[in-house]
Amino acid sequence: MNKFSRLFVAKLILLVCLGFLGAGLASMSNAAESGSFSNPALEARLIAAENGVGPNATSLSAGLHLKLGEGWKTYWRSPGEVGIPPSIDWAGSENVEEVELLWPAPERFTAFGIENFGYHDEVVFPLRIALSDPGAPVRLNANVTLLTCSTVCVPQEFTLTLSLPRASGIDADAAALISAYAEKVPEEGAESGISIQSAYLDPDMTALTLVAHSERPFAGPDVFPELGAGTAFGKPDIRLGDGGRLLWARLPVLSAAADLPDLRITVTDGDRAASLFTELADAAPQPPFALDRVLPGLAELAWIAAIAFLGGLVLNVMPCVLPVLSIKLSSAMKSRDQGVGRIRKGFAVSALGVLAFMWSLAALTLAARGLGMTVGWGLQFQNPVFLAVMFIVLAVFSANLFGAFEIELPSSLQTRLARAGGGKGYSGDFATGAFAAILATPCSAPFLGTAVAFALAGRLLDIAVIFTALGIGLALPYLIVAAFPAAISRLPKPGRWMLWLKILLGLALAGTAGWLFWVLIGVGGMTSALAVLTASAVLVVILSFSRLAAGARLSGAAATGALAIFLAGFLSAAGTPNAKPATDWAAFDRREIPKLVSRGEVVFVDVTADWCLTCKANKALVLDRAPVRTALRAPGVTAMQADWTRPDEAISRYLETFDRYGIPFNAVYGPGAPEGIVLPELLSSEAVLSALEKAAERAVASGG
Amino acid sequence: MIEGRRNTLAVLATVAAAYAGFWYFPELGSTELNFEDVQYPRGFRRLSASESSSGFDLFIGMNAMGPDSLADAEARVRADICGALYGDDLSATQRVPVAFFTEYYCPYCRVQTRTLAALDARPDSNLRAIWHELPLLGQSSEVAAKAALAAKRQGAYVAFHERLMKSSFVATPEYLQALARDIGVDHQRLITDMRSAPVTEELENSAALARVFGIFGTPALIIGRTIIQGQIDEKTILRVAEMEIEEDWTSQCQTA
Repeated sequence: MNKFSRLFVAKLILLVCLGFLGAGLASMSNAAESGSFSNPALEARLIAAENGVGPNATSLSAGLHLKLGEGWKTYWRSPGEVGIPPSIDWAGSENVEEVELLWPAPERFTAFGIENFGYHDEVVFPLRIALSDPGAPVRLNANVTLLTCSTVCVPQEFTLTLSLPRASGIDADAAALISAYAEKVPEEGAESGISIQSAYLDPDMTALTLVAHSERPFAGPDVFPELGAGTAFGKPDIRLGDGGRLLWARLPVLSAAADLPDLRITVTDGDRAASLFTELADAAPQPPFALDRVLPGLAELAWIAAIAFLGGLVLNVMPCVLPVLSIKLSSAMKSRDQGVGRIRKGFAVSALGVLAFMWSLAALTLAARGLGMTVGWGLQFQNPVFLAVMFIVLAVFSANLFGAFEIELPSSLQTRLARAGGGKGYSGDFATGAFAAILATPCSAPFLGTAVAFALAGRLLDIAVIFTALGIGLALPYLIVAAFPAAISRLPKPGRWMLWLKILLGLALAGTAGWLFWVLIGVGGMTSALAVLTASAVLVVILSFSRLAAGARLSGAAATGALAIFLAGFLSAAGTPNAKPATDWAAFDRREIPKLVSRGEVVFVDVTADWCLTCKANKALVLDRAPVRTALRAPGVTAMQADWTRPDEAISRYLETFDRYGIPFNAVYGPGAPEGIVLPELLSSEAVLSALEKAAERAVASGG
Repeated sequence: MIEGRRNTLAVLATVAAAYAGFWYFPELGSTELNFEDVQYPRGFRRLSASESSSGFDLFIGMNAMGPDSLADAEARVRADICGALYGDDLSATQRVPVAFFTEYYCPYCRVQTRTLAALDARPDSNLRAIWHELPLLGQSSEVAAKAALAAKRQGAYVAFHERLMKSSFVATPEYLQALARDIGVDHQRLITDMRSAPVTEELENSAALARVFGIFGTPALIIGRTIIQGQIDEKTILRVAEMEIEEDWTSQCQTA
């Protein structure tokens, strides 16, 4: 959009936001939406964030809302190898200067080897509408053409109209929908933290290779390059490196157009996405690891197995595994009287537990790979719920070793196990093995990252071999005891030293718990971690309260444990700062403005809202960009932001003092402008800078 | 706690196994085929599992050929439905005819084209594919369909079709010229044929057939006397063809 039309857009938004102010007065019944078009494939309607066009509004925030029937899809601006993107002809609209349609980040559909990019279920295409006549009523007439496909493709052509009278007030539901999907529109600047470092297209046009970088590690990234309508790319081979911050991808070129426009690459990763124009480089970037070594011959497969086996073995002396092994050995010591056969079988079953866990991981890796997900080793250690569970288990076990309480099975369970005869205890042995394997995952990362990266990119056989070898390595101590039970009889006889050993083991477990706590702080935040810590303490106290009946103790413990796990998930979700980059904005406080100005400071006020598309444009194009960003961070300048996403009386009254009823609204105060300089709705760097300068003027004069 | 974890692992492993099972053996889910008879043309039936046309406005995409311009074509095809659908040499072969309505901008058409072309090419195949161009998806789609039909007149339909089905393209004059050169057809003649009455008539006939059979999207198949809307797998095609042979579909075309 050119600057001129952007100005219109901003004015429109201002008008809209003006309407927002009136929300307190006007009823919300004026739903700002069109009639709907519907058939089994989709239901479509136009929505607007505001109930009408506010005085002097120059822009509107609206959206095309599609609800797709089950199994139906529609397409992105680049639909993939084949398909048609939605298009809207606005002919017949009134008071509409220009409409910009924003494209939310797509998802990849792969069916029978054909790659398509688009949407399923529901999507809103946010529309930034510039008005030709500010403040005048608007009639939107959208002639929509789009393709919907399930197993059959059905073209859709329909017209939606939406009339917006002179009115004010926000349609909260529509505004929420528009802002939710505006959030999904890929960032075109650096806000997402994702950048493209290099992209290379070989002269024969066989493949595109690219490297992207992210400030935060990628979780499940996907890549969508665009190189004109006639160029299509196949499924990407995506590999992560540098702790997940580096993304290398190679996409085969399926067909190439004769004239190639600028390359545009969209990278998506969960909720964030970036869409960036990129120059082509002269040489292909190198992948973080090589695949040709992953699709190996027999010798290489044996080599990989050996490495994985050694890796698994090394894990046994890792701080997060050794304590578990120690528990197992000490319990074996206790049960020496049970005879060699029982010990043998017990350890063999533990080894099986280790292997079972590894095979589950292998199966999950395969399934996840089939779903197109990228799985990171130790990924579960980014999950606060998993961490809380592990922490509680370790805290309780270490308290047990310190002698806080004795673990007793309920009598009914004991009876059942006794009835099961020889089976008694084997499930415990099995669980010890699986538990050891689960605990090994955080320690394995530095040693086995490469092997696992191989596994993710490799064949079914590779994955099976790697995980089995890992399991055997980790299970080796158990296997040795199973093969030579005599090894156990070399252990010292029980005695007073066992108490010390127990405390030592307890310390090791407590140490691991402490480490997990530290990880949990990082992942879930301090509040969440403290909640889990408190709950664990309560849990231990309940368990050690020996006067209580065993049943009551157990149910109390279970309830506390469940509460802790819930809190970990809940608090960390609530406490996680949203994806927006940290800003230097102060919260808006009207009373502070005169105080700051009297001290000779300059105050910049920005009133914004999540649903306000022009506010987002202002932010991306002016406020978050040099030189304005630097100017707002300069000493003596306070930047205040008022969030009007939900109606706020105080902000409404403030806007009213300027005869404004909508946003975006920006004003600058200072010694040179104590009453404030109101900026145009559509900001420009020059306007902001000159207002800042003017507001500061008298300070310079009086100071000089 | 440990008991619970073990159960969780067991559940996860089961889910993974089930997922892998359905991924590698999709036929695990196959069921009985059900049909419902259609009102018109009499004797034809619709595979119940395929997408139903109810609720869709037929011929949304036919902007270039409005319903009125199809009136003549519709009269033509109604006079000899089987001939229009399957060609004139019905008795020449024992194979079950499969009329395939397709176009170049529909993702599943590409999938269905591959399946059907492979089946048609088998030496022991008991079915015979008849291609119908049904360009519902805009101008480029229509141009591509005309170009393919024009190429047919130079014996290059299959080559043209394969190229268009394999690539991502915009059917500009330059693109068609390059394509004609690559495939070795006379570009001038191609352009002339694209505008000729026989090509237009062939397209109109296919569109009229689609309208007569209530076909509202692509891909669509008519196997013998069974209408199937939407992409289906090779196994289902073969099963329907078997049934058509057992139930003698030819009687339909002798009476209709």
